[in-house]
Amino acid sequence: MACAGYFATRRAMLAATGASILGMPVRHLLANAGKDHVQKAEHVILFWNGGGMTHLDTWDPKPGRPTQGEFQPIKTSAPGVEISEIFPQVAKQMHHAAIVRSIAGTQGDHGRATYQLQTSYLPGPNLIHPGLGSVVAHEVPNMGDLPAYISISGFAPRAGYLGQKCEAYYVGNPGEKDPYLAFPEGIAEVRGNRRLEVLERFNTRFAGTKQDPRLSDTKTSIDDAVRLMRSPALEAFELAKVDQATIDRYGDNPFGRGALLAKRLVDKGVRFVQINRGGFDTHTGNFPAMRAHGEVMDPALASLVADLAADGMLEKTLVIMLSEFGRTPNVNANAGRDHHAAVFSCFMAGGGLRGGQVIGSSDKDGYEPHDRPVKVPDLHATVCHALGIDPAKEVMTPLQRAMKLVDGGETVKELFA
Amino acid sequence: MLRYWFGLGLATVLALSASPVTRASEVDLVLNEENARQGVKQAPLPSASDLAFLRRIYVDLIARIPSEAEIREFEAWPAETRRDKIIDKLMADPRFLERWTVFFEDMLRLRTNATGGAALISFVHKALSENMPYDELARRLLVANGKAGRTPEVGFILGDDADPMAMASVTAQVFLGTRIGCAQCHDHPFDVWKRQDFYGMAAYFGKTRRVESQLTRVVYTTEVDQSTVMWPPDENASEPRKPMAPRFPFPIEEDNGSLRFLGRLAQLRAPKETKVVKNPAASVDDLLADADTKVKTRVGLGGNGLDPQAEAKKDIRKIDIQASLQSQSELRNKLAELVTSPRNRYFARNLVNRMWKELIGRGFVEPIDDFRKDNPASHPVTLDYLSEEFVANGYDLRFLIKTIVRTDVYRRHRAPSDTEDAVRQELEVAFLATPMRRMISESLYDSIVTAGHLFEFKHPAGANEVVTYEKIRVPKTVDGKPAKLSTPMLFGGRPMAGMAGMAGAGMAGSTPGYALEDAIELDFTKVLDEEGEEVAVEQMRVMSREELEAERMMKERMARGEGVEYVEKTIKRVADANPKFNTSLKMESPAPQGHFLRVFGQPTRQDLGEARDESATMRQALMMLNGRLTHEASRVGPLEPVASLLQGERPDVPGAIKLAYREIMTREPSAAELSEAREIVAGAASPMEGMADLRWVLLNCNEFRFLP
Repeated sequence: MACAGYFATRRAMLAATGASILGMPVRHLLANAGKDHVQKAEHVILFWNGGGMTHLDTWDPKPGRPTQGEFQPIKTSAPGVEISEIFPQVAKQMHHAAIVRSIAGTQGDHGRATYQLQTSYLPGPNLIHPGLGSVVAHEVPNMGDLPAYISISGFAPRAGYLGQKCEAYYVGNPGEKDPYLAFPEGIAEVRGNRRLEVLERFNTRFAGTKQDPRLSDTKTSIDDAVRLMRSPALEAFELAKVDQATIDRYGDNPFGRGALLAKRLVDKGVRFVQINRGGFDTHTGNFPAMRAHGEVMDPALASLVADLAADGMLEKTLVIMLSEFGRTPNVNANAGRDHHAAVFSCFMAGGGLRGGQVIGSSDKDGYEPHDRPVKVPDLHATVCHALGIDPAKEVMTPLQRAMKLVDGGETVKELFA
Repeated sequence: MLRYWFGLGLATVLALSASPVTRASEVDLVLNEENARQGVKQAPLPSASDLAFLRRIYVDLIARIPSEAEIREFEAWPAETRRDKIIDKLMADPRFLERWTVFFEDMLRLRTNATGGAALISFVHKALSENMPYDELARRLLVANGKAGRTPEVGFILGDDADPMAMASVTAQVFLGTRIGCAQCHDHPFDVWKRQDFYGMAAYFGKTRRVESQLTRVVYTTEVDQSTVMWPPDENASEPRKPMAPRFPFPIEEDNGSLRFLGRLAQLRAPKETKVVKNPAASVDDLLADADTKVKTRVGLGGNGLDPQAEAKKDIRKIDIQASLQSQSELRNKLAELVTSPRNRYFARNLVNRMWKELIGRGFVEPIDDFRKDNPASHPVTLDYLSEEFVANGYDLRFLIKTIVRTDVYRRHRAPSDTEDAVRQELEVAFLATPMRRMISESLYDSIVTAGHLFEFKHPAGANEVVTYEKIRVPKTVDGKPAKLSTPMLFGGRPMAGMAGMAGAGMAGSTPGYALEDAIELDFTKVLDEEGEEVAVEQMRVMSREELEAERMMKERMARGEGVEYVEKTIKRVADANPKFNTSLKMESPAPQGHFLRVFGQPTRQDLGEARDESATMRQALMMLNGRLTHEASRVGPLEPVASLLQGERPDVPGAIKLAYREIMTREPSAAELSEAREIVAGAASPMEGMADLRWVLLNCNEFRFLP
């Protein structure tokens, strides 16, 4: 989990030492050396909406068009930016946020599209590409005691060739006790600590004088685990200690609690939090389903952005909401919308981007990109850019094949302008 | 001989030398000569002690440590023959087949969740039980055509969607230990492989198609006339593109009589009549029967009002499925002949090298799938000697395993822990010392279960009763009464807990929140029914945490559903949480993400060349320190032998400690360890708790997970 700690790049190590060359802090030198990679963001909160969320009924309303559907657009705190009525609270935070309305996807199958949106690569038959969270955990040094990459409420992509240390740490049901973070039931603190002391003695003796690195790795892993178990930062997981009014503000449901937990984790230094939610594959009954989703998503997303902004954390935290594709502008016979990859939208806020703007547009009915098409890997390059990661950096697979962190892609620079 | 460990102290050296020295096998003689020719001066480490050997051979052959009863049985046998005897005993154990099925699952990248994957795993298990020659196994995987599940072998090419490019890489890497995949896009930078070689190899798969019926979801492979593999590969090439002609890029040696092992193989196989292989192809009726049920299910879900029978028939008749299933792949038959030819040296060398690595801890060629000129074998003569013997003995996998574990090399001691790193590596490269090897995750899991007496109940019935109260919602039925409780809607603060308990029927004593440590058995013999067809195994899966979450979210949505009325009830559940665990060798494979097996390095088997990850991670530590498996294995059960040594009028604590060391470490404690352990036991609230503490430490320490 201490992913970047293990694979600390020279660049990161230099930066971490706070060393200076010719009187200029190394951090600045590095920032300059990295051309346009100006590192502002330190954390990412990714909302993954599985199933393919309709773009027309969320971020890209089409008032007065036959494809409009049942929702009306509403004005937001960003002049000229309108979003769907299912997001009344998010609308008040739009001055912090940006919407990309011209993502030009290519995959209409859930599996392939999910893979591409989460990794930037298309699935190949015999290679697993790492998800965005693993890339970040690999590239950015750890901060604090908690794992660098945490996935809440389900699926996160694998770390692939970045290795097990860059896999997500799972949190099943936010707010619920994770049995692995404390001694087993019935083992009191004193007894558990005594066990750990004896274990350390046994392992030290076994390792002998010339430590085999694999034996010392076990020791490191145990030390990391114990540090986590004893860390005051674990308190972030204890939503029971949060006052009910705050929980209610986010929504007392897994999604709201997940967003609240994400905020608390980022405060403790976690680099990448992914919050998963499904149920967007609305082939039938799209509108009541989206209204219900809105009721859950709106307070959580709005409260998160507002709270990050209030704490001064929004500048350092990129919030992004993604789905594998959009949905057809035409409404089908079952009052649903089907898969549509040719154009769809995403929501972003914080992380140094300029709020209150819309990037690109779809055509008047929401079928195709109209203006400034954004390729899927462009989104990944953009997230990397926000964090000061070079998306073109190459890492080696176990077969010594050099792979770029992002499959091509160019930063959507206007976001930061 | 004393040259490299006089620093150890005389007592250690004497202890090492005192262990029985086995007769050097032919392999050892060849290896010793080769080492001498290479100027290796060091002396080999002596043979490991009998008990260290016993632990090693149990874990390697049947993927768990021996029990106390098994240690005693071994110790009762005559010292001169006991090592050979235990090899024969373990190779006859059913677990031997399961453990070596795992070896092939890793090598061939088999996955229960791939199309036809479970059937293919059962097929490999069956092939091992019948001791199918390795060349036949490989050939059948390469040539198969048919329906997924119905023709188990076809799962192999379906695992890569029968994609010619993928199959070219897979065939070269898995069966020939060579990475030609790079040559798909460019001439190989460090090797002789050219793009033509890659496309020539891919062309053997060029006429094979994966077909999936859109309506019935029946998946099968078949042959068509037109190849998809074109040359030149670039679509915008200036010259016109033509189908690539298949060409095998690996050398096939001349049979000029000088290769004696070829004659021996021919002699071995001559008297046997060729068996008539039952035509594994499916009939139209088979497919229809299958299609029917699938269509019904889909119609039930989607409600599109089609007549399933008629649609399925129409769908299937459109393609002449009978003819296409019968069609044999001439190209792949030719390829299989070349790949498995005894005159293709790469084929046997690859398997021998993989097997040697699995058992010795280091291959002649490393990495095991990178045979090339610039990466020569450390001991080419020994590798060829073993490879030729393997071929001459009819590609007999049992022969190969047995030959390797009977060598001195297999039995050597590890380099002492104070050996300089460079010296240790020299010793290991020359196979003079055994490298440190961590148990594979399946062995680690099953060894903890064995050491903790968790394959059977160790607490009396009712001793672990847990009473829980749960608020549940059940939908009202038409008459207003609550429906059956069999599928309760979960409600309130602890939905995961209930779900974990419901995740699988076969899960005894599962505790809330620990589903990632459960193993649900999948019976290899029952995956294929009498007709050899795959039966549904989905119900037997352990649910991953994500799946549990998905299910929970689904139920939550249902619980919110409009138009359904619910009755709220508080129910009392009494569960006997008497822990009992199943073997991990028979569960869904690979295990779900986050499962114990995966956390300890079981590969996903998606990537080509993905080795078992042996690195230590924090997740592993958390699972071992705080998990349910280690906790329950440490707890002393009243029905265990050690309990009677700790309780009663005349407790025998030293006896109990010795037993714990034998059960967990397969050795006796030293005098210092014994007195240390007595302190641990005495310092606890009760001897039972003290023993649990000791056992927890033993299970968690490095000595447990790394082989002696």
